[in-house]
Amino acid sequence: MNRSLMRQRRIVNFIALCGATAATLFGLVWLVWILWTTLEKGATSLNLQLFTDMTPPPGTEGGLLNAFFGSAAMIGLAVLIGTPIGILAGTYLAEFGLRSKIGGVIRFVNDILLSAPSIIIGLFIYELVVRQVGHFSGYAGALALAVILLPVVVRTTDESLRLVPNELREAGLSLGLPKWKIISNVVYRAGATGVATGVLLAIARISGETAPLLFTALNNQFWSTDMNAPMANIPVVIFQYAMSPYDHWHALAWAGAFIVTVFVLLLSIVTRVLLKTRK
Amino acid sequence: MSLMLDVSDKVAPQAASGALKIAVRDLDFYYGKSRALNKVSFDIQANSITAIIGPSGCGKSTLLRVLNRMYALYPEQSAQGSVLLDGQDVLAPSYDIGELRARVGMVFQKPTPFNLTIFENIAFGVRHYERLSKTQMAERVEEALTQAALWDEVKDKLKQSALALSGGQQQRLCIARTLAVKPEVILLDEPTSALDPVSTAKIEELILEQSHAFTFVIVTHNLQQAARIANRTAFMLMGDLVEIGDHEQMFVNPQNEHTRAYVTGRFG
Amino acid sequence: MMTQHPDQPHTLRSYDDDLLGIRALVEAAGDLAQRQVLAAVDAMSRRDLGEASQIVAADEDLDRLQAQIEHDAISTIGRRAPMADDLREIISAIKIAGELERIGDYAKNIAKRIPVIAETAPVDPAVIIPEIAGFVANMVRSAITAYIERDADAAMNVIRRDATVDEYYNSLFRALLVHMIENPKHTTQSVHLLFVTKNLERIGDRATNIAEMVYYSATGQTAGTRAPAVSAAYDAVVPSEGK
Repeated sequence: MNRSLMRQRRIVNFIALCGATAATLFGLVWLVWILWTTLEKGATSLNLQLFTDMTPPPGTEGGLLNAFFGSAAMIGLAVLIGTPIGILAGTYLAEFGLRSKIGGVIRFVNDILLSAPSIIIGLFIYELVVRQVGHFSGYAGALALAVILLPVVVRTTDESLRLVPNELREAGLSLGLPKWKIISNVVYRAGATGVATGVLLAIARISGETAPLLFTALNNQFWSTDMNAPMANIPVVIFQYAMSPYDHWHALAWAGAFIVTVFVLLLSIVTRVLLKTRK
Repeated sequence: MSLMLDVSDKVAPQAASGALKIAVRDLDFYYGKSRALNKVSFDIQANSITAIIGPSGCGKSTLLRVLNRMYALYPEQSAQGSVLLDGQDVLAPSYDIGELRARVGMVFQKPTPFNLTIFENIAFGVRHYERLSKTQMAERVEEALTQAALWDEVKDKLKQSALALSGGQQQRLCIARTLAVKPEVILLDEPTSALDPVSTAKIEELILEQSHAFTFVIVTHNLQQAARIANRTAFMLMGDLVEIGDHEQMFVNPQNEHTRAYVTGRFG
Repeated sequence: MMTQHPDQPHTLRSYDDDLLGIRALVEAAGDLAQRQVLAAVDAMSRRDLGEASQIVAADEDLDRLQAQIEHDAISTIGRRAPMADDLREIISAIKIAGELERIGDYAKNIAKRIPVIAETAPVDPAVIIPEIAGFVANMVRSAITAYIERDADAAMNVIRRDATVDEYYNSLFRALLVHMIENPKHTTQSVHLLFVTKNLERIGDRATNIAEMVYYSATGQTAGTRAPAVSAAYDAVVPSEGK
């Protein structure tokens, strides 16, 4: 009687295991395929030139330096703008807005923003900034990226801080410490890993956003450090070059895509490692 | 049928041994609409060890957390009545919560070391109250760790993370942290229920040793622990304080039928 | 002052089993002890030597019961960490067992004298001895019953009866003394009978001790001092010297 039950269970277990493994392999296959394809297709352009030359006009050899710089500058500025606001907002939600109505409202709105199509955000900044000043700019691009980064940081900060056990706060309170000290010294320390992870994930997210940059930073063929003017960036360059009829542009686009993919992959790995080492 | 004896039995005339430190009078407590404590009244002598025992849900932790107004963290919880610390009602809105918590410390069931070094865990709280020189702070930390019977085990690793200590050590660290800010009363909410017998014994010993300098109130579901260390034990049931008395009364000759049933293991 | 009423059981059933086991042993020991007393006095009246040696042999059973009670009680203390009335009851069980063992020793002591008394002529004052024996045996029985039922009032009752035992003792003591003086040929049996009388008085004392422990076990209070004993032994004077 018991034997057949055990056998049944073993069969079900085996089937489930097979299913799970198959699903994993399925996901992995695509990842490997993408990496391989981008590597293969962009291999011809994966050289030092990629990192030293500017985006070339059709027919000429070149690199992606200005695009790398532009992306880095806009991502950097977006992080500078969005992270402090996001962390503080997340802190508010976790420490003060747990039961309040307004906390619920903020979370709801944040979730909407989180899932808003990035092109809408691009359009929004276009209306608000680009149209007002009359030209595309790196600042507008950074702003758009910041708006995409913000809800991710808010959400992950909120969740990370909420994971900090309440006993820790109570322990601080019982020592007679004021709330702000408890947050800054106790709660932040305990939730630091989670918050940092959230920021890294947000960066990974905005690294590949194309649509908003189309409406805000546009693109720039030449080297430029002026944020107040259209700025080169990887996603738009890939978009432009992929759509073009020129082979060497295609190769550059593939190379750029490979770099971005590897960058995001590395960020995710670093996140994992961080999470593991800090318990 | 009321579970309680006359209040006069519990509000004892000052024992010759000590002044009155805390007087709880007619304390009611509510979680939202439901009442968790019913007109609880009793005295706690200074420099004594008072244990609060009772079955789950009887209100003992609730009562403990009123004594340092920890419930203020949660808006739906409220208390009525008075808790007099050296004669002043600490439940009054005008009484500064920060001062209350400086005078009444708390240790929790789960050890809660901060994500800091062992030294910093203790110095952190002290720094909030006092400006000490480096040597003075080092002395204060050593004093606190010695009182908590932890100094010998950690004196060589003060700069290591507190999270690397064992559970029993972490709990003693939390006790040291509380002792370091020199409160007058220390509340302990089942401080050893998550620990092994050796750690438990060490903590009980340190409580006994330090009772000459502090007033301890300890909630425990371990009858034997209350019998071992408490000067007076209070038995609670369903929000009522049923009986309070010394060891002889509570464990050898309890007067109340419910107390008797509980301490002898007739849980019904 | 609370007399315990029939109880809510312990949540741990084996705890109740332990306590019931000890109570049963105490009851058996009490029963054996008071039977030994009655049998010894009865054998003495009938001058039954065979019965006498049986009584002496049976004392071993009582010793074994006491040892068993002590062993079980200690084991229960170690295992259960008893509190309140359970604690008092178990401690009392140990002490009561000790008292019962001594009572048995007194009965054995009486039985041991039977061979000597059997050789001698009966003595008039001795007729009251079976009555005294019955009285103190009854005290033992009542005290043990009070223990089993945790009845503080019944225990108090037994304690009060101690005064009567003292009266019995004093009057018999004087009577034997007088008889001995007037009948020097009866000195041997009279002296033995004095010891027997003393033993019975001691049995009454022991029964009273048991009752006091029962009272404490049931209520947590001590029973208070008994009425001071007026012992004839200490101020008895030969009657012819006039008092």
